Amino acid sequence: MNTLLTIAKREFRAYFDSPLAYVVICLSFFGLGLMFFMYQGGYWQIDRATLQPLFEYVPAGLAMLVVPVVTMRLMSEERRSGTLEMLITLPVKDSDVIMGKYLGALGLVLTVVLASLAYPILMFKFPWTLGPMDMGPVLSGYVGLVLYSAAAVAVGLLISSLTESQAVSFFITFFVLGAFWFSGSMADQMDGTFANVLHYVSFQSRMTGFMRGLIDTRDVVFFLSITILALVVSFRSLERRKWA
Amino acid sequence: MTADVMIQASDLTKRFGSVRALDKISFEVEKGEVVGFLGPNGAGKSTTMRILTCFLAPTSGTAKVCGVDVFDDPLEVRRNLGYLPQRAPLYTDMVVRDYLKFVADVRGLDAAAFRRSLESIIEVCGLAQVLDKDISALSHGFRQRVGLGQALLHNPQILVLDEPTADLDPNEKAEVIRYIKEIGKDRTVLLSTHNLSEVEEACARAIIVSKGKVVADGPLEEIRSKTGSVRYVVTVDERQGMPGKSAPNVAELRQALERIRGAVRSRELPTDEKVHKVELSGAKDSDLRAEIFQLMVAQGWLMLELRRDAQSLDAVFRDLTRGDEAMDRGLAFDDGDSDEDDESDDTDSESDDDSDASGDAEADAAVSGTEEKKDA
Repeated sequence: MNTLLTIAKREFRAYFDSPLAYVVICLSFFGLGLMFFMYQGGYWQIDRATLQPLFEYVPAGLAMLVVPVVTMRLMSEERRSGTLEMLITLPVKDSDVIMGKYLGALGLVLTVVLASLAYPILMFKFPWTLGPMDMGPVLSGYVGLVLYSAAAVAVGLLISSLTESQAVSFFITFFVLGAFWFSGSMADQMDGTFANVLHYVSFQSRMTGFMRGLIDTRDVVFFLSITILALVVSFRSLERRKWA
Repeated sequence: MTADVMIQASDLTKRFGSVRALDKISFEVEKGEVVGFLGPNGAGKSTTMRILTCFLAPTSGTAKVCGVDVFDDPLEVRRNLGYLPQRAPLYTDMVVRDYLKFVADVRGLDAAAFRRSLESIIEVCGLAQVLDKDISALSHGFRQRVGLGQALLHNPQILVLDEPTADLDPNEKAEVIRYIKEIGKDRTVLLSTHNLSEVEEACARAIIVSKGKVVADGPLEEIRSKTGSVRYVVTVDERQGMPGKSAPNVAELRQALERIRGAVRSRELPTDEKVHKVELSGAKDSDLRAEIFQLMVAQGWLMLELRRDAQSLDAVFRDLTRGDEAMDRGLAFDDGDSDEDDESDDTDSESDDDSDASGDAEADAAVSGTEEKKDA
């Protein structure tokens, strides 16, 4: 357990030792602010004290940019530079390596997610009070965001563990998470079993409930299953080096 | 198995796809020994070390470190040894001190123990001036020292060092060898390299592998006397002979030299001067210097230099592994391979070697591919 946390800590710090963490945090907030307040009239156009758009844009932004950037180097870089050999030949379990890296990256993504708490706090508590806030959907929305981040980072880690190239890792993660996000909207244009399947696996449709203030066990289990599945496969792909 | 055997490999075999990287390698390293692990590139040195450190699993065979089987308890094996992988891969975004602290934390050293061992490492590896620098800013020599330092943090009884001196300049090499000698005083060290002078300097015993097999294992003296021939280097002026005589061409010179009784074969050595430089190998324990001199006098050739080398480890190494290289590169073996060539080959095949870890047979194909091109 201790080694796991040591690895997680190093991984998390590594983001801040390079410009990456700062760039990611700054740009994602710039983008979020732009989308939230300006895009199609933004917040003001809705004319309600609601944060629902926030939960629309944050996960999409995470999928499109933050998660692929944060996870692309996790395993790819270590494998390419050979530091993986150094790490794994320390007395650590393979599972500690995977979990440590996962938690380190999830830590950064959650930092971004939780920093967006500034929106509800600044807008509805202090210094501005733009109206009475509906706490329920905000809380459930954040639960959804955390679950969503957990799943997305696990998927990113898995993809990173399959390639030695950061760029490949970035684009595949970008594509996979994007596909998972938009498959819901795509399904709306189609019908039949395939549409149902698309709708079923869509991160977006899974998030809708959370946005409305509904924590559905099925959605929770869905995200957790994706997380666990991706972590187990990453673990296997790391173990595979021994036998191949 | 006695209690003093620290590393024991028996019948280790490793396949990457259809390529057999190791073919029933067996050896033992006893407590307190500093053993050189030698072989040409692709002979299986790194693979063996990766198996010993539980980074890879052997296809068949067993390995024990400190009496612990690598299959049974990889964590215990890793706790008992310090390992420096090839080219010291470190986290370049970290400061040296932080990196060492990270390794110490993973190894479960407490703060006091870390401080103590840090002090001794700074001294042994000469890290004082770089302790607070970014690893990315360090020269390769210093990275190698940091790598050595991290392998020593937990004061292991066994050290496995994979080409600790590759890519270093001669001064750095000498330094690192000095550190290894210092470290090896009270530890068991398995050290892979293809630089033979280092082995002669640091190790009492060598294991030579070739094509995934052990071809020689024993004290250096024993290996040295294993394949016997003596080498003479004859330098003759190519422009003029003695007064009234003409200078020979290379073919004449070589023919004449090879006709001497006891001479085995000759070859021309490259030179910048206006001379013919020929290497002649003679039978073991022979001394042909007098005959060579008489030949020169009889022919009226101007001999500028004559040198007799006792069998060097270098030559033994080449003799033992020559078939290997010739076959791998798909070319007739060329003795003229200079050391520089070896170095650059090294870098290439190592990076390919890395991808072996992910198990691509293609990577191996690529190795021989690039090497062939290089030689051609």
